[in-house]
Amino acid sequence: MQPVTRRSFLATGTAGAIGVAGAATIGAPFASAAAADPADELSPSEAAAHSGPTMVHIVDAESGRIEILHGERTIAVTDKTLVARVLRASR
Amino acid sequence: MSSHREAPGILKDPVADNTDVYAWVTENDTVTIITSYVPIQAPAGGPNFYEFGSDVLYEMHIDNNGDGIAEVKYQFRFESKNFNQNTFLYNTGPITRLDDNTWNRRQFYTITKLKRQPSRRGQLRYSEEFKVGGIPCPPCNVGPRSTPNYAALAARAVKDLGNGNKVFAGQRAESFYVDLGAVFDLGDLRKFQDLHLISTPPGTGVDSLEKVNVHSIVLQVPIKDLTADGRTPRDPLSPKSVIGVWGSASRQTGLYRAQGRRHSSGAWRQVSRLGNPLFNEVIVPLARKNEWNSKTPAQDADFEQYVNQPELAKLLPVLYPRTFPNLKAYTKDRADLNAILLTGIPKEVGIAGFQNFTGTTKADMLRLNVAIPPTSNPNRLGLVGGDATGFPNGRKPTDDVVTIELRAVAGITIPLVDPSFTPDGAASLVTDGTTDTNAAHLRGFPYLGLPGGGYQTIPGTTSAS
Repeated sequence: MQPVTRRSFLATGTAGAIGVAGAATIGAPFASAAAADPADELSPSEAAAHSGPTMVHIVDAESGRIEILHGERTIAVTDKTLVARVLRASR
Repeated sequence: MSSHREAPGILKDPVADNTDVYAWVTENDTVTIITSYVPIQAPAGGPNFYEFGSDVLYEMHIDNNGDGIAEVKYQFRFESKNFNQNTFLYNTGPITRLDDNTWNRRQFYTITKLKRQPSRRGQLRYSEEFKVGGIPCPPCNVGPRSTPNYAALAARAVKDLGNGNKVFAGQRAESFYVDLGAVFDLGDLRKFQDLHLISTPPGTGVDSLEKVNVHSIVLQVPIKDLTADGRTPRDPLSPKSVIGVWGSASRQTGLYRAQGRRHSSGAWRQVSRLGNPLFNEVIVPLARKNEWNSKTPAQDADFEQYVNQPELAKLLPVLYPRTFPNLKAYTKDRADLNAILLTGIPKEVGIAGFQNFTGTTKADMLRLNVAIPPTSNPNRLGLVGGDATGFPNGRKPTDDVVTIELRAVAGITIPLVDPSFTPDGAASLVTDGTTDTNAAHLRGFPYLGLPGGGYQTIPGTTSAS
């Protein structure tokens, strides 16, 4: 697994990919909860470039450690804010 | 069984279940490696006949420096296609060619060869040596109306990759033979069951796998493509002459189901592996079998204790009282099994002209000394039968690995490392009592026998008493 910072994680557009997978699995509540800063949203070209399922596994809620499963890679990320948004949306 | 349904996790995932691995030196300075999956196929199992998993990564691994990590890997990925959207049938007429339009459900695969490169930041790295895709599998053997002239049809699925490489992937007859019904009934061996703790008159071994098929990947490559120095060694006593081989199957980390479809994402995680036959089956405790399947040979030191003090060696004197007194009294670690299964047999053991030692790294690999040429006079008992071309020097499809390993566990190989030990008389006789009643092997590539046809193979009645 490759360690990724929040900055590089967002820069590659993977955070948006979580939204795609999340919307498919937990529906509207997550979509509204994820709509935070518009600057974090994917551009139309970034969204169009996304393909295949992307899954997020919260490894440890307390530390914010998550794994993003996309393509044939598993990417390790630590993001407490993102974990909080996902878990609150799942209630 | 060698490794059919051997762990609680993989028994629920047959297409990823690596049942057997074979590796032996073949003609023209080649090695043939076989990895089989999808165990215990009833040949009549339609309308959805058996196939490889299109979401599974199948691999053959070759270690040529003794560290338990592959220097050379061959990967296989399969793709299934439906060619007729309007039928429930596997085929709508006789299949006479691999592109016959009567054949609905087909599989194709890609083979990729990878070579290990220097690690970077502790990460293993591999470079791609070649990749060939779109290779067709043959159909399953359905019956004489659906798959007439099956031998010729399947033979067309042998793909020459050039430079001495050829490959086949598809259904084959099971090659492994064993009396499962007796062995798992409290370690019964029908020939000797009069000596069993729960005694009955002696019987004859029953080959539980004689009417079933498997799916096999068969690869033949030049020896020099697998050795560390890229040469074909001629000296059996040279360390460069030995390679370690194992097979595996992996699935992606995440599985997501929606609208009748399955989607996988994330890194590949190994779910099955196999080097020496029966290692996970009878050495590793049930509680750790899934874990073992997820690890690499380089991590096998963690399982060494089960080799040194194998449960089966303790069970034999209990199940067969007064038959194995010397084995019962032997409490030392089993250095013989440690060598056979985890390090290879060093030349210092003194088997004339033979060694397959790969170093001190404890790793379950099928070790093959590639400098020992094929023999015209093979012995099913391999090395213990005086045939250095057979198990545990690699494994040929005809090797009787059940008898070989039973006798080894019973103590016949202890004197190789501990001359003070005298094996019990029964140790050189013990066997599950089966003979190879499976379909005949082919003389040439892909060696494994033709799969039993769904129409032709007649099942027997079950018996409850």
